[in-house]
Amino acid sequence: MYVEKFSNLKKLILYAIVLTYLVFVLFPLVWLVQSSFKSMYQALKIPPDLIWIPTFEAYHKALGGGMLKAFMNSAIVSLSNVLLVLVLGISAGYALANLKTKASQNIGFWILSIRMAPAFGIIVPLYIILRTFRLVDTIFAVTVAHLTINLPLAIWLLKGYFEEIPSELAEAAIVDGATRTQVLLYVLVPVAAPMIVAVSALVFLLSWNEFLFAFILSSEAARTVPVLVASLAGTMRFDWPLMCALSSLALIPAFVLVVYLQRYIVRGLTFGAVK
Amino acid sequence: MLVLVCIVAFPTFFLFYASLHEWVLFKRGMPFIGFENFARVLTSSEFLQSLKVSVIYTFSTTSLTFILGLGLALILNKELKGRGIMRTLIALPLVIPPVVAGFAWKFALNREVGVIGAYMLPAVGFMRSLLADPSLALGSIIMADVWSKTSLMFLILLAGLQVVSPDLYEAARIDGASSWQLFSHVTFPLIKPAVIIALIIRFIDAFNVFDTIFVMTSGGPGTATQTFPLLGWKIGFLYFNLGEAAALAIIMLVMTIGVGIFLIRRIT
Amino acid sequence: MSKNLSKIVGLTVSLAVLILLVSPPAGAAKTEIRVLCFAQGFAWPELFGTSGVDETERLKQFEEKEGLDVRIEWGDETAIRQKVAADLAAATGRYDLILVGTDGGVQTYGYGGFLEPLDKYLEEYPTEYFDPRDFFPSFLDANRVEGTLYALPYYSFGAGVMYRKDIFDKYGLTPPKDADELYEVLEALKSGLRGDGITDVYPVTMRGAPGEEPTLDVAGFVYAWAGYPAWFEGGATTPDQIRDKKAMPIFTGDFAPGFSAFVEISQEYGPPGIATHTWVDMMNIYAMGKAVILMPSAINAYAALGVTEDENVKKYTRFAKIPTGPGGKQIQSFWTFSLGMNKDSRHKKEAWKVLSFLMGKESMQAFAERTQWPNVTMKSVLYSDVLVKRYGMEEIKLNEESILEAEPFYFPYIPELNEYMDRIGTATSEAIAKMKSVDQVLSGLQTWALETMLRGGYYK
Repeated sequence: MYVEKFSNLKKLILYAIVLTYLVFVLFPLVWLVQSSFKSMYQALKIPPDLIWIPTFEAYHKALGGGMLKAFMNSAIVSLSNVLLVLVLGISAGYALANLKTKASQNIGFWILSIRMAPAFGIIVPLYIILRTFRLVDTIFAVTVAHLTINLPLAIWLLKGYFEEIPSELAEAAIVDGATRTQVLLYVLVPVAAPMIVAVSALVFLLSWNEFLFAFILSSEAARTVPVLVASLAGTMRFDWPLMCALSSLALIPAFVLVVYLQRYIVRGLTFGAVK
Repeated sequence: MLVLVCIVAFPTFFLFYASLHEWVLFKRGMPFIGFENFARVLTSSEFLQSLKVSVIYTFSTTSLTFILGLGLALILNKELKGRGIMRTLIALPLVIPPVVAGFAWKFALNREVGVIGAYMLPAVGFMRSLLADPSLALGSIIMADVWSKTSLMFLILLAGLQVVSPDLYEAARIDGASSWQLFSHVTFPLIKPAVIIALIIRFIDAFNVFDTIFVMTSGGPGTATQTFPLLGWKIGFLYFNLGEAAALAIIMLVMTIGVGIFLIRRIT
Repeated sequence: MSKNLSKIVGLTVSLAVLILLVSPPAGAAKTEIRVLCFAQGFAWPELFGTSGVDETERLKQFEEKEGLDVRIEWGDETAIRQKVAADLAAATGRYDLILVGTDGGVQTYGYGGFLEPLDKYLEEYPTEYFDPRDFFPSFLDANRVEGTLYALPYYSFGAGVMYRKDIFDKYGLTPPKDADELYEVLEALKSGLRGDGITDVYPVTMRGAPGEEPTLDVAGFVYAWAGYPAWFEGGATTPDQIRDKKAMPIFTGDFAPGFSAFVEISQEYGPPGIATHTWVDMMNIYAMGKAVILMPSAINAYAALGVTEDENVKKYTRFAKIPTGPGGKQIQSFWTFSLGMNKDSRHKKEAWKVLSFLMGKESMQAFAERTQWPNVTMKSVLYSDVLVKRYGMEEIKLNEESILEAEPFYFPYIPELNEYMDRIGTATSEAIAKMKSVDQVLSGLQTWALETMLRGGYYK
């Protein structure tokens, strides 16, 4: 397999670019995480203490009360979104990629643009419709609502990717007597695995962090992490360390999942088969 | 399925209905008034100001996150040591709730007690307030958005790059193509679908950002950072004029679709 | 393929419907009372725990006794506002008790007919949880719209000056009693701090962010400088008064001096970022020892005292009565955190029980014990041991005087109040940031107000 070779200088420049960006990304994150081990006063103190006796009070609150449930809810919602998007999105994306009619070309765009009308406009009608269907405060409702964003997005992305896969692959399999479903499952999905994994990561992260729908739809039983965190920014009280602790905790599952998925975003596993 | 269709379609129909009626919460009744809501929104001075701010904000953050996201995706698609961990770290800001991201930047940039605004910047002689100076506030909220959302572009584009077979590079290299030619003739055409989608998603998203801006500047100073979503929130939930808010939402929807079609036509 | 697709879709949907049907119906035998509000973990932790979602023993006892199931739902202020509006507009009556501030919520929803008038309940359903006479009248009055009571207050505040006695002593200053003294004190602090080479401590912290928030304070300055709520001619404060007298807006008239004073003090003596500061910034700046005075919303300094670890801030913070303006009235800053009852509630009597329990004496006392803030609604609680011990009888008396002297109607109670609040606040921020002059923003306000009132049919 071909591996691109660079000079050391080029490598150095690339590393420098990425590392500079990483400093920008990590500075607020590190600051958030360290704030979660401080009191509000310590967190705002300048110059900041680099060595301090950490307090675990925020974590005690976050893990002790009824807050853990929000993590469970978030996990259920995001994971079921990933699963449903995988099942429905792959088949629909593949079907649309094969249709090639004008109408199907940008169906994802249409669904999305209507669906992503500004929050201040749709919050009232959405509330009305969900009340009518008695869907308020169920995890099911939050999952479905997230699907309405994630599914069109995933279909649209996967359709685009499927179109780029050389058609010889599928044709060769069909000549060998495979059905369309078999082609999809045994030929295309393995080839497209890296993209599917990347799309899954995207869906997971978007669902994990979605606020608007989760907020309208949940009261207390179905609250997700972002809704919980936002509710702490109340009036006359500001528990910044707790907000930081919850956000830091929210980073962990996402971090683990993305690291895990990383291993699958390896390319070119099966492309060699074409030749 | 019915539920799904309703969730997607009903709000839009409802918006049209509401936009044609006078619907103010402290007034009883909901009379039909034609396009008066639209006329009022379009002729108000806030609309023009917000249009200006929204255009600058959306254009800057979309292009900045796109350029950064594409650049990082291209670099981290190469065989570099430690790319797995670097990819993961770059993706992380997407998990921070926007409210928290907003407060984190607000506290860090704060001119009086912030670690950047009151400690690092004054140390190098920069004494202005990043969040309250009319000429700097917009830049600050753009930076916060770039921080949060470059991850999104990065992930979509990185996924797109997975389609490009390394064999293609090999072939092109053997033909003696330069790096730029490689990108413009091989890579870019192949990831074009991903690029369009990334741009459109990001555009819609940037056009609708509310929390971070609201937390960092409340749209201020004055109306210097008041984008359409902030204006709409005010009209709908401070002025309780749900009819005018619906009209503004439809105007935004039309703009979104217009720009989306433009992007699709332009690039394909 | 498409056949398979529809099969999968069909399967998923039917599965989903099944889950929906199987999931148990919400609400058991007990009547459920839903509350929607903000300040999670700050309001009523003795009932809902510090996380805001626990079922504490006290809550269970209350539920057991009254045969009710209390469900509380939290959000941040901006989000809750949308949910309250959505629920009221949809008229579904999901929430029995909803949060309404006295800075627009009570007025808007009161005039809109969304709230249940509470006077009847006060008279006909006396509650064991509080004695109505124990409330400071102004805190109840603030929740009346044209004489009708629409909400009950929980923590509440009036105006005051919180200052650092150590720094005042250092420069030989005493708390200002009128506007002239206020300027003198601020000037002395500014030159004193500068003389000592201190550049990161500011004479005063106030709030100047756009939107409705700072208007609570700006309107207080206007009231003090003009000597009356100078928004409309003759100080009209209700729709009827405005209609009867055809009272025109006077933003370029008597409104101007107090507004200019607020802007000038912010620019000259406030911190550099004041044009986007909210209560959070006031609290942080005071807590970090970066401001000598916090005014006029003194409650934000009590919040700061809960956060600070700065020994001097803790030890030397004092409360003083707010100065009187040139108009002969005190500067105001008045607000109550209130809950109203949804008119569409299906269990009003039960909701009233919950409301009177949440706003009752026991809750207020628990608030005082926990926060040690004197921002309570009842006299008996203000004079309870915990607060007297903490601040001394003298300061508690000062606090009571401030509440008694406060004028909750220092701005008009009209349905359009929220929009006025927002536009005035935004104009303040613009003027402080020097994007426009004070004259420019005020004439802008005047034009807008005239148009709005004409369109609202006030001058027919």
